[in-house]
Amino acid sequence: MSPYVFTLLIFNLGLGTTMTFASSHWLLAWMGLEINTLAIIPLMTRQHHPRAVEATTKYFLTQATAAALILFASTSNAWLTGEWAINQMSHPLATSTIMLALALKLGLAPVHFWMPEVIQGLDLTTGLVLSTWQKLAPFALLLQVSSTVNPLILTLIGLLSTLIGGWGGLNQTQLRKILAYSSIAHLGWMVLIIQFSPPLATLSLLIYIIMTTSAFLTFKLTSSTTMNALATSWTKSPMMTSLATLILLSLAGLPPLTGFMPKWLILQELVKQDLPMLAFFAAMTALLSLYFYLRLCYTVALTSSPNTITMLTPWRLNPTQTSPLNPLTTMLTLALLPLTPAILALVIY
Amino acid sequence: MALPRATSFTPAVRLLGSCYKQTPFVPHLSAGWRDISGGEYRRPGQPRYNTPIWKRFDFHKGVQGMQKHFTLLKEEFLSRWIGPEGKPLVEHMLEQTRVIWEFRGPESLDQWTVSSDCEIGGRSEAYLKLGRNNTTCLLYGTLCSVPPRDGETRYSGYCTMRSKPPKGSFDSKKHHDWTSFNTLHLRIRGDGRPWMINVGAETYFSHQKDDMYSYFLYTRGGPYWQDVKIPFSKFFLSSRGRIQDDQHPLWLDKINTVGFTLGDKADGPFQLEIDFVAVCNDRAHTEQFAYEAYKRNPEV
Repeated sequence: MSPYVFTLLIFNLGLGTTMTFASSHWLLAWMGLEINTLAIIPLMTRQHHPRAVEATTKYFLTQATAAALILFASTSNAWLTGEWAINQMSHPLATSTIMLALALKLGLAPVHFWMPEVIQGLDLTTGLVLSTWQKLAPFALLLQVSSTVNPLILTLIGLLSTLIGGWGGLNQTQLRKILAYSSIAHLGWMVLIIQFSPPLATLSLLIYIIMTTSAFLTFKLTSSTTMNALATSWTKSPMMTSLATLILLSLAGLPPLTGFMPKWLILQELVKQDLPMLAFFAAMTALLSLYFYLRLCYTVALTSSPNTITMLTPWRLNPTQTSPLNPLTTMLTLALLPLTPAILALVIY
Repeated sequence: MALPRATSFTPAVRLLGSCYKQTPFVPHLSAGWRDISGGEYRRPGQPRYNTPIWKRFDFHKGVQGMQKHFTLLKEEFLSRWIGPEGKPLVEHMLEQTRVIWEFRGPESLDQWTVSSDCEIGGRSEAYLKLGRNNTTCLLYGTLCSVPPRDGETRYSGYCTMRSKPPKGSFDSKKHHDWTSFNTLHLRIRGDGRPWMINVGAETYFSHQKDDMYSYFLYTRGGPYWQDVKIPFSKFFLSSRGRIQDDQHPLWLDKINTVGFTLGDKADGPFQLEIDFVAVCNDRAHTEQFAYEAYKRNPEV
């Protein structure tokens, strides 16, 4: 791809998200989402592989449907109440439709079916952009409308997402599909808490983005896209493999790693809001996710996969990336939990 | 089961009907009950059903079908608790070879579809039967490259044997997941002819429906068995028979079919005996893709 075209697409990716962030009118927000979608489509088909084209087509269809639903809901609201402002959405038809549309944009259950297939068809870098950057704009809109959406819908979507994210990832052997189901589950946790504490949902999103970035970049460095490939990567780079294990446990939400922070704070907030049963079910569904993360750690670190090479580090990987993003995000993924009080003070209170 | 009487065999239909027979002629009732308005594809040579649907209704077959599909559904649900693809995780990790198709009984032939150019009006014939001792399958027949006289076909003379795509409960689409492997291993005994192996991966509706990954299979023709190991990195992409300029490696996570094709423009009889079709993980083979992946005509 020509570097000029690539730069233009990356710029438009940023432009679309920024436009949605900065907008208070639904039309401008919708335009930002569309610019985002259109900018990432050529990035997804850079390789022209048939599977990448398939993933791109599926992504385009789902995102276009969601954008059309957003437009429909916002114009319905404008027709019925005369309001175009995002946080002034009051009609229940409009708010329910917009919630469904944003769920489709984000890949929340019950409209999550496109997510694993699309991420599986892409390479790890584009999958990373899809899992992280593309969540920002719809999440910003979700933050603004969450106060007006029926709480039952939010709770149901959140709980269903955590359940399906855990259940769907159970027997996966492809790492990209595992990360897709992990995305569904994490977004479910965010949607659960967004109605009670939007800053906490934002914090969860931020920590999820950090953890997912480190996971994707680590898998890219060890060139592993399947469970078996990750299991045999200990000969290539034992340090990266052991870090990959810890990153996966952080995604699972185990203390003393960073991933525990959002789960802990969300459960605490739910109990404070007098919803212990909801907290219980959310924690139970997190156990399903924990199972497949632990299984990955088991295959990587606790078993020695069959390998013709019996000595350690037979060759060294040429460093393919010189940016500090991987070490930075990995460090944040593993070591941020003790800073929880400071983060709480800065973000929430 | 009595054969349907309401069919009148014209000489042409009888000729077409004798083109290929996988098993002794049995009416395809599973195709019949869905053929309400003749919408489902009827392969040339198969007789047309003129009996109305209400006469062909069979309660016993319906109950058997429901039992079969619900059993498959239950197995799919329960296998989720065991591990990936219904096997324990340890087995998935340790697996280095897997025999996908082996011919040990008449039911193994039902997993394959045989066709030849008689579907477009040509004169080749292809048959599939079990080999000696019911341990192998024999694909045999006659190639004839005389094109059909329909005014538009210029070339003819091919025959093919293709595996049926795997189906789950209620005929849902399933795929072969061969990501743990990197080599196709066949044990065959041919007649010296050059065959082609086609692997059909999962495609997305009309976008890539004619895409196929192919490689050559040169048979020796002797009385001795031939072990053929073809790495998946060697398969090249073709669409509608035309090799694509923009080549891509075969992705092994969603494989639908494997097929053998013969079209070497040599008229006459042929036969191919297959013992098994397996996949294996050759750890000495480190090639990712055998063909150029860079852009060959880059715009400056």
